[in-house]
Amino acid sequence: MAYEALDFYDIDSLLSDEERMVRDMVRDWVDEKVIPNIEEACRDGVFPDEWRVDLGEMGILGAPLKGYGCPGLSYIAYGLICQELERGDSGVRSFASVQGSLAMYPIWDFGSEEQKNHYLPRMATGEWVGCFGLTEPDYGSNPGDMITRAEDKGDHYLLNGAKMWITNGTIADLAVVWAKLDGVIRGFIVEKGDPGFTAPEMTGKHSLKASVTSELVFQDCRIPKDRILPDVKGLKGPFSCLNNARFGISWGAVGAAQSCFNSAKEYALSRIQFDHPIASFQLVQNKLAWMLREITKAQLLAYHLGQKKDDGTWIPEHISLAKMNNVDIALEIARMARDIHGANGILDEYPVMRHMANLESVKTYEGTHDIHNLILGRHITGIQAFTREFTE
Amino acid sequence: MTIAVLLKQVPDTTSKISVSGGRVDESAVSKWSMSPYDEYALESALQLKESGGGDVVAITCGPARAAKMLTDAAAVGADSLLHVLVEDLNALDSTQVQAILAAAVSHCSAQVVFCGKQAADTNAGSTGPGVAHLMGASCVTMVSEVASEGDSFTAMRASSGGDQRVAVSAPCLFAFDKGTTELRRPNVRGIMMAKKKVAETLGASDLGVDTSASSVSVDSHSPPPEKPPGQRFEGVDSVAVVVSKLRDEANVI
Amino acid sequence: MDVTVIAESSENGLHPVTAQLVGAAVAIGGAPTVLCAGGWGVEDAVSISGVAKVISVVGDCFGSFDGGAWAEALSSASGGDVIIAAATPAGREIAATIAAIRGIPIVQDVTGLAPGISVTRPIYSGKAIESSTVGTPCAITVRANAFDAAGEDGSAEVSTVNQSADVAVAVREAIAKASERLDVAEADIIISGGRGMGDPANFSHLEEIADIIGAAVGASRAAVDTWDEIPHGMQVGQTGKTVTPSLYIAVGISGAIQHLAGMRTSKYIVAINKDPDAPIFGVADYGIVATWEDALPALKAELGKL
Repeated sequence: MAYEALDFYDIDSLLSDEERMVRDMVRDWVDEKVIPNIEEACRDGVFPDEWRVDLGEMGILGAPLKGYGCPGLSYIAYGLICQELERGDSGVRSFASVQGSLAMYPIWDFGSEEQKNHYLPRMATGEWVGCFGLTEPDYGSNPGDMITRAEDKGDHYLLNGAKMWITNGTIADLAVVWAKLDGVIRGFIVEKGDPGFTAPEMTGKHSLKASVTSELVFQDCRIPKDRILPDVKGLKGPFSCLNNARFGISWGAVGAAQSCFNSAKEYALSRIQFDHPIASFQLVQNKLAWMLREITKAQLLAYHLGQKKDDGTWIPEHISLAKMNNVDIALEIARMARDIHGANGILDEYPVMRHMANLESVKTYEGTHDIHNLILGRHITGIQAFTREFTE
Repeated sequence: MTIAVLLKQVPDTTSKISVSGGRVDESAVSKWSMSPYDEYALESALQLKESGGGDVVAITCGPARAAKMLTDAAAVGADSLLHVLVEDLNALDSTQVQAILAAAVSHCSAQVVFCGKQAADTNAGSTGPGVAHLMGASCVTMVSEVASEGDSFTAMRASSGGDQRVAVSAPCLFAFDKGTTELRRPNVRGIMMAKKKVAETLGASDLGVDTSASSVSVDSHSPPPEKPPGQRFEGVDSVAVVVSKLRDEANVI
Repeated sequence: MDVTVIAESSENGLHPVTAQLVGAAVAIGGAPTVLCAGGWGVEDAVSISGVAKVISVVGDCFGSFDGGAWAEALSSASGGDVIIAAATPAGREIAATIAAIRGIPIVQDVTGLAPGISVTRPIYSGKAIESSTVGTPCAITVRANAFDAAGEDGSAEVSTVNQSADVAVAVREAIAKASERLDVAEADIIISGGRGMGDPANFSHLEEIADIIGAAVGASRAAVDTWDEIPHGMQVGQTGKTVTPSLYIAVGISGAIQHLAGMRTSKYIVAINKDPDAPIFGVADYGIVATWEDALPALKAELGKL
């Protein structure tokens, strides 16, 4: 049975032909390549290399960037790509988010002309994989106090420190690493094989099992002087990357929720208890109606945010709201869908438990749910509540 | 060399079909797609172009919604697009459809035509042979691959006794069965290029085809007859009964 | 009504569907003329009840298949207000070409006919039925087994027409049919085994039957998980392939909800299971309560007779 995406308010009719074609291309790829293989990938704890090649061939890595081998699609198209990838699995969307928004974007926005020409075309085709080093073992929601340091040694920089929870780290050919140089946060490009750089994989995850998560370790890591991103200083650098990634997540969560809704609906229609399909019972219908309601709201939120991204009228708080809300409802929908599936819901025959476990990570990464609440709280009141220091 | 590919937009084979007021309700079709055999025709045309040069022109005869399918064809590499706008294809009989398509092929000055062996909506298979006759072309059906060989072509075709490799010269038409090749997927670059390829849109009268008097009139559409309720049989002796029912009642073997 | 039937025949003789074509011709009130391309099947065609005459069309063009040339030769050999052929690949091509030669409409794959001429045919892969009225002259192809075959007590006269046409399709080489097994995702008939088959070696019984009817062999997840010999590619169900063949035969499969999710939209389902309470019987059109050890040899024998 072909996948029929829930689209209660006909968002489809708002899309351009190009956006719809890109969406359909990714949707077909997910049906063909991801869904039949995702459980095996999760069991083995690998991101299949074939997917990297396919994503590059489709041309969707760094989709909203323009030039240097990147297509310059609309942000709505980029959102749709994320939505379809995450319908398959959050790990696949994470790969694309990290590559496009967190690794390619800072080079595209803050890199030198030489850096852009050298890295971006090969990253757009998937030949080179990138990762993004901001979070540290002791500094997650508070990246401003990061420990990782860079020292100017005249003809090179010397990096020391460690990053953690780095998607794609072990398989990456290059890392965009944020470190303090003379007390100021700067971006550096570290390549696989640079002396003093290792990227051991983190194991034991119950979530995002088909995605590679790593530590990045720098012990007197020497990098050439031309690897610093010249055009940005301070937290603005990493935060501008996160804005794009969070935007993608707000769409991706819709895809995961649609997948859970579909599975729950089909299951409820075919599961017979007390001689009737459980879909005919009021409590189950109530759950399905709630899912439809929340998915529809999340779609409208994502779509309107996409328009604002495309016309440049957005502020970071708009993205915080969409990321927070859409992941939150997707997680709740996954849990509810698991409930509708009864005991069968814990099996890998159905996508719901996998989405549920994935979304626990998605709720936490790229700004936790609570941090986004604080961002909105600051926006409303003008008072920041992240720290104990009172500032106006 | 210009290769014309005849494409038809049909309800996706996974779509539900509902009937209301004695007609299939087209507005209830959730997804329209390129007819599957036509996809193989297009893929093979693109491969032939890549190996031997030339242009691929994608031609469809159908309502306005079919334009989307032509854009899909452009996204995977069709060079130009021709849309013969006919709002109600069901109102035309086979002679009219064939006359339109043969005129469209001639309009594109194509000597080589690829199409599906039948469309997934009517499953008829009249168009290929009919168009071939009208353009005075040799016709090969049940084709899985085509290669060019100087001025002529060789094709693999299925026949009851096994596959055959056959040779024909232009003008010729190949009607495709499902091929062994994997269909190409579009990519972002192709999709963005497709935006720039504008279809030439013509009416049947522009091609000199009269569509007024069809000699086939559709009286009604109806849902398929309900299947009889499940039947249960005990023991091995019932196998013969079930096999005869599969043949005579279900008509599936 | 002057009706011409294009016999479905080959060097192996007359195909039995030809008697059904005559049955269809009689349904619209014609005593048909039967054309035998290449002269094949003439001996059997004359004894079909209701046939007015049989024309053996012989010519060089019938040496190998070229639908265009055959159609030209056959069309010249006889007239007819209505041309009837079988909805086989060759029948469809010949009839469509004759229709184009004569400038008459064609309706393919018809399953019902009445004078007038009213035709019914399945459209959208059988998801709807179309009824239409066709003016004469016209051409019609008829689906196999949709019409009762005419009897065998005829004694039509035979004439021979020498009629050839230019052959444009040259056969370079014939390639023996490879016995490659179909993939479940593409097959029109699937026979699947479950853990009830007892041992993966017993899937050979399913394969033998699949060879007879051109089916693919599938499996339930229980079978795939239990036996390494049964690859995941054969799995039908929630995490395997979702299939919609015309006929799905489930053998030794209990019918877990995950399996049903992958095959319940098959057009016809046959279940063979020794447990009369197995849920698979709930979706089966034809359920046979029997062990596979008893049922499969009988099934093989019956299908072999077709």
